[in-house]
Amino acid sequence: MNRLAILTLLALAACGREQAASDIKLSNGWARETVDGQNAAAVYVTIVNNGAGADRLAGVSSDAAKHAMLHSTSTDNGVMRMRHLPDGLAIPSKAAVELSPGRTHIMLTGLKQPLHRGQTLSVRFDFERSEDQLFDVKVLDPASAGLQGAR
Amino acid sequence: MLRQIRILIWVLVALAAVGLAWLLLRPQVESTPAQSISAASFGGPFTLVDSNGQPFPSSRLKDRPYVLFFGFTNCPDVCPTTLARLVQWRNQLGKGSQSFDIVFVTVDPERDGPKEVGTYARAFNAPIIGLTGSPAQIERVKKQFGIFSEKVPDDSGGYTVDHSATVLLFAKGGKFDGTIAHEEQPSAALAKLKRLTA
Repeated sequence: MNRLAILTLLALAACGREQAASDIKLSNGWARETVDGQNAAAVYVTIVNNGAGADRLAGVSSDAAKHAMLHSTSTDNGVMRMRHLPDGLAIPSKAAVELSPGRTHIMLTGLKQPLHRGQTLSVRFDFERSEDQLFDVKVLDPASAGLQGAR
Repeated sequence: MLRQIRILIWVLVALAAVGLAWLLLRPQVESTPAQSISAASFGGPFTLVDSNGQPFPSSRLKDRPYVLFFGFTNCPDVCPTTLARLVQWRNQLGKGSQSFDIVFVTVDPERDGPKEVGTYARAFNAPIIGLTGSPAQIERVKKQFGIFSEKVPDDSGGYTVDHSATVLLFAKGGKFDGTIAHEEQPSAALAKLKRLTA
């Protein structure tokens, strides 16, 4: 009886987690190829929240770099400024949040190796409510990547 | 009622004083963006260092129009986007890579030596001239072209650099011809480059 209860609880827990994970869909993840001497790179991704509740991207990490942070880019009077978003990024219910050039990105610093086109890069997304996700982003040619989405 | 109006007026006076003080004391960067500098006092000859570590005098740019963009090689977002766009627009003009030079000058000479700017400039599959210099040389050129930059510590113990992201356009012979803002619509930017290379 006891064992059955535990199994039931585990099954329920698994269901709950699956449910939460499926609410957030990551897509269109990419980063630019880097060259020797560059130790920073930006990662872009589209985050869709299909769930009924709001969520928040609380943190990011990757084995490819020492540090990963959410950054906003703003241009004020011609001056570009990048800032860490310490409170993460709100992902409203039934909404798509796009991380794209010139706006918001994941900043990788302390790259362990240069990023080469064709390669994929595994990034961990920690959400406040939904299950954390590992997501592979593509490394693209810097001469053509992101020009369509760029403002 | 009258008393309330009097208080309201004093509040407005105080607000106006604060506003005036802000206008007078605000940081210099906001009062001298590249766009507002008159063409007469703007630019002029300079010497920097090329990707081979050799002196690069601005006279080397006299044979064709050029565009000048200041950034740093560890800038992951705005700099590669701007350089990739410039290359794309130059390709779209269809006049070849000799129609105008794309010049990238680092505002982070402490980290970006000749080798770093050279490797970075070659990453865009098209000719880009990457330049660095001593910190004093870079400061001088920044001042000449009204460029602001400031190192900002990041949370990983390193730093990033806030900097002017406006592209400066120069006609053949080096005369200042305008700017392309970071937010510029591609069609407007393309029209400016078409005029520059006409």
